Amino acid sequence: MASDTAEPVRRTPAGRTPRKSGASPGVVRARKVWLWLTRRAAFRNLGPFVPVIALWWLVAEMGVFDEAFFVGPPRVVEEFGDLMEKGILPGYLTDSLTRLAYGVGFGLAIGLPMGFVVAMFAKVRRFFWPILLFFQAVADIAWLPIVIVWFGFSLTAVTFVIVYTIVFPLMLSVVAGVEQVPRELLRAARSLGAGRTRVFFEVILPGALPSVAGGVRTGLGYGWRALVAAEIIVGTSGVGFMMFDARRVGDISQVFLGMAVLGILWYALDAMVLAPFERATVERWGMVRSLEADG
Amino acid sequence: MTALEITGLQKNYVDAYSGEEVTAIGDVSFSVNEGEFVSVLGPSGCGKTTVLNIVAGFVNLTEGEVVVDGRAVSGPGPDRGVVFQSHALFPWKTVLGNVVFGLRMKGVPRAERDAKGKEFLELVGLGGFGHKYPHELSGGMQQRLGVARVLANEPAVMLMDEPFASIDAQTRRKLQEDLTRIFEKRHPTVFFVTHDVDEAVFLSDRIVVLSKRPSRVREIVTVDLPRPREWRTALETPEFREIANRVNELLVDDEGAAAGADEDPGGATDADGTAVAGV
Repeated sequence: MASDTAEPVRRTPAGRTPRKSGASPGVVRARKVWLWLTRRAAFRNLGPFVPVIALWWLVAEMGVFDEAFFVGPPRVVEEFGDLMEKGILPGYLTDSLTRLAYGVGFGLAIGLPMGFVVAMFAKVRRFFWPILLFFQAVADIAWLPIVIVWFGFSLTAVTFVIVYTIVFPLMLSVVAGVEQVPRELLRAARSLGAGRTRVFFEVILPGALPSVAGGVRTGLGYGWRALVAAEIIVGTSGVGFMMFDARRVGDISQVFLGMAVLGILWYALDAMVLAPFERATVERWGMVRSLEADG
Repeated sequence: MTALEITGLQKNYVDAYSGEEVTAIGDVSFSVNEGEFVSVLGPSGCGKTTVLNIVAGFVNLTEGEVVVDGRAVSGPGPDRGVVFQSHALFPWKTVLGNVVFGLRMKGVPRAERDAKGKEFLELVGLGGFGHKYPHELSGGMQQRLGVARVLANEPAVMLMDEPFASIDAQTRRKLQEDLTRIFEKRHPTVFFVTHDVDEAVFLSDRIVVLSKRPSRVREIVTVDLPRPREWRTALETPEFREIANRVNELLVDDEGAAAGADEDPGGATDADGTAVAGV
């Protein structure tokens, strides 16, 4: 279902295989299995990780590095089971995700409207643009010292940093999105009887969506990273804290586990929320060329 | 009777680099009657699209007046629907969603506007494509949709800005015949900007020929070829060639003065009903 666009492209060689001379039945069957596999969403989403994990495993088994510095997949899975059983990992994950949800929620609620206000009103924009660029340049982590002084080691401090990280790229992408709406579309809407408010909701909002969706994705990615960084410094709990704390006591497997958890969570968020949203909107409308159709 | 009246139109603008004031349109006056197809032709860069943009209300005029349906133009409005060269369809709306856009802005109830939208899609040969998205249509179909979107809104005048210029030659011929057929059937008032002489002669009742910058009306040529028109017969009629030659000479004459073209403009036979516009 996710491979609507890719199917016709990939089916063509399949139709040709039987006619090819010299291809043994075994090769043909292998090719058929491969084609069947590449059409499964699960395979296309998880397949690329198989060689990565295999390589990781191999390096660990060969003992290239000392086990105190490098652990293999079995140790990490074991550690995962252990921490799940003890309830530590679920607790930390809940903490991290709660912080992320607060940060992202406030970040979007502030960034999107502010972005559109700055984009729509030239005077507001002229005033805010230099300020926007200035504060975008002050790295999120650079705020941590003063934020800890203000809010202590609290949820507020972490939320502040995440919101800060998300808001600026989001605003810039909204401005870019509004700018990239073709002038002719605005004119067409006006000459079909749309007033300024209707033009905003009917043309500017959907027209800016490709760029805004990109901004939300980048913003979330930044927020995710800022969360881990903030937890390492502010940390009293959370996945970032777990990793840093494990390093302190020399438990490398927890550090590896933390990295895997971060990657998997982000990938799941992207595959289950962000990518389907983009497929249903901007790709459906033909506003960006689908990556899969190109391949 | 008069759908569009342009009187003493002048447009100056300030060049962004040199800061000099440039006169793009010197003095343009003409009118378009209700149910009439009028084309505006002129040498490249003469500001014919600027005239259209002023009528559409996208650009402000410096001097003069534009009156549509008895009201002076200020800003864009649904009485002047525009068909753009770039089609300017809404990619996030279906074909039907594009056609009914204007009716929706007017507050026409859903059932009524959908029925009307479908009627106009049939008219342009896009019946059955309502659920598609614009990017799934060919260039020619997209432009037919652009025409349907404007006509469904029933404007006092339909403005067309070189609508077929970005479409390949064969499809263009077909689209011109389609447009003529639609015009002959429903008689909308059309203001058509083009740089293609044959296209203008084929489609129009009258052709306004502009001079080079600062543009003035050089001549208004009446095209009294019988309707319905189609390309096969039009190209065979001597009258068609005669009018086309006449318009070509008016253009070449003007460009020759500017660029020193080697073509001899002499021997112009006056086509029927030509009239020099009052300047």
